[in-house]
Amino acid sequence: MQIQPEAPAGPVRERAVNATAFGLALEVDPTIKIPGIPVLDAPAVTSQAQVQVPTRVRLDPRELERRWSSIEGTPERVRELRDGEAVLLSVELAPPAGYLLHAPGFGRILIAPDGTELLCDPEPGSPEWSTLLPAQALPLAATLRGFEVLHASGVVLGGRAVLFAGPPGAGKSSLAAALLRHGAAELLSDDTVALEPRGGTLIAHPGAALLQLRAAEHERLSARERAVLGPPETFLDKQRYSPGVSVSPAPLRELFLLERSTHGPPVERIEAVDPFALLASTFNLSVRSPERLTRHLDLTVALAATGRIHRLRVQPGTDATRLAEIVRERLLEL
Amino acid sequence: MTDKRADTQTMSQVADQQLLSERVRLPQHVVYRSFVAETVVLNLRTGQYHGLNPTAGRMLEALDAAPTVGATVPELAQEYGVEPAKVESDLLALCQGLLERGLIEIVDADPA
Repeated sequence: MQIQPEAPAGPVRERAVNATAFGLALEVDPTIKIPGIPVLDAPAVTSQAQVQVPTRVRLDPRELERRWSSIEGTPERVRELRDGEAVLLSVELAPPAGYLLHAPGFGRILIAPDGTELLCDPEPGSPEWSTLLPAQALPLAATLRGFEVLHASGVVLGGRAVLFAGPPGAGKSSLAAALLRHGAAELLSDDTVALEPRGGTLIAHPGAALLQLRAAEHERLSARERAVLGPPETFLDKQRYSPGVSVSPAPLRELFLLERSTHGPPVERIEAVDPFALLASTFNLSVRSPERLTRHLDLTVALAATGRIHRLRVQPGTDATRLAEIVRERLLEL
Repeated sequence: MTDKRADTQTMSQVADQQLLSERVRLPQHVVYRSFVAETVVLNLRTGQYHGLNPTAGRMLEALDAAPTVGATVPELAQEYGVEPAKVESDLLALCQGLLERGLIEIVDADPA
């Protein structure tokens, strides 16, 4: 007899499809198309724990509303992104319901406290609502399931992950795109990379196969480079590419911290890394449980101990193509 | 005015003398991790991080293991090759700062 865990009590629901992102084995309602995250033929083997209890992504506004309306007390607002008066994104916590992520104009997603379930409630007429999943909700779920998510772009070169962290606008995505354009590199993630300590090394897990470039960067691409990245689509104020993702996790090779600077060598190994700079590179400021805070600190120790962290100075007038050359030359030296 | 300042100073000195004979520990909600050039102390209740230079980080490590604050002075003085009085002064300043921030606490002496 075949067990059908997906079978609901009500109308027959289509079987969930398998996918993976940020180290999570995902079971996704077939009606949900997650940008940049392909459907797999079989469950992704990221770790035994993830496969045995996958993270389920369901389109279920009624269940979301039922759970959120039954919470007691006032939820704690753990994160808020604003543009002036307008709230772009908020995250509220109310155990046991979980974390409610709300992006006006897109929709709401309720993430279970253990990260094993995401209930989605898209806003009517928002075709891009599911962008919230790879951009915000899945990285949060990954954190809840034991991964640490770095605000970084990354590529895989020779089977190992090369990551780029830095403040917004430092050029992380453009640098990843420039490395892809020259071939031999695969996209690991544009904006967020999930890290996992495993057997004395750090494993970088791919995110969504999306790459978002500002209009100016898009304009600088040659025809050949555009062919490598594939056709773009306009998303908010950027051009979004789907260049294909490296779906296999990869051990960390090097981490480059981008900083705007007018003097100093273009790239140098950091002997005594500033732990606060690494801590600030986290993507997740919402999960503040003692277990997670301790895990984040321990991962920062592990990252610093690799000795594979470099400062990459972005000097005025240096474009992504030149930065990619600097990175490639550095990697050859190491 | 002068008298008042002298009183305050005396009280502080007494407090320092008392502190030297106390046993301090990191509370359960405080953890620390050492990096090459810094020790990060994390208060898990507030989520606040604090940075200590390597010397202060070493002092914290010694404090967490010693029976009293004062008991760490000879070892640290020898380790850093400085006068015990200087170590004591720095140690007390560190302890006061950590106590104020709730990053260490004074524990009762072992009844045994």
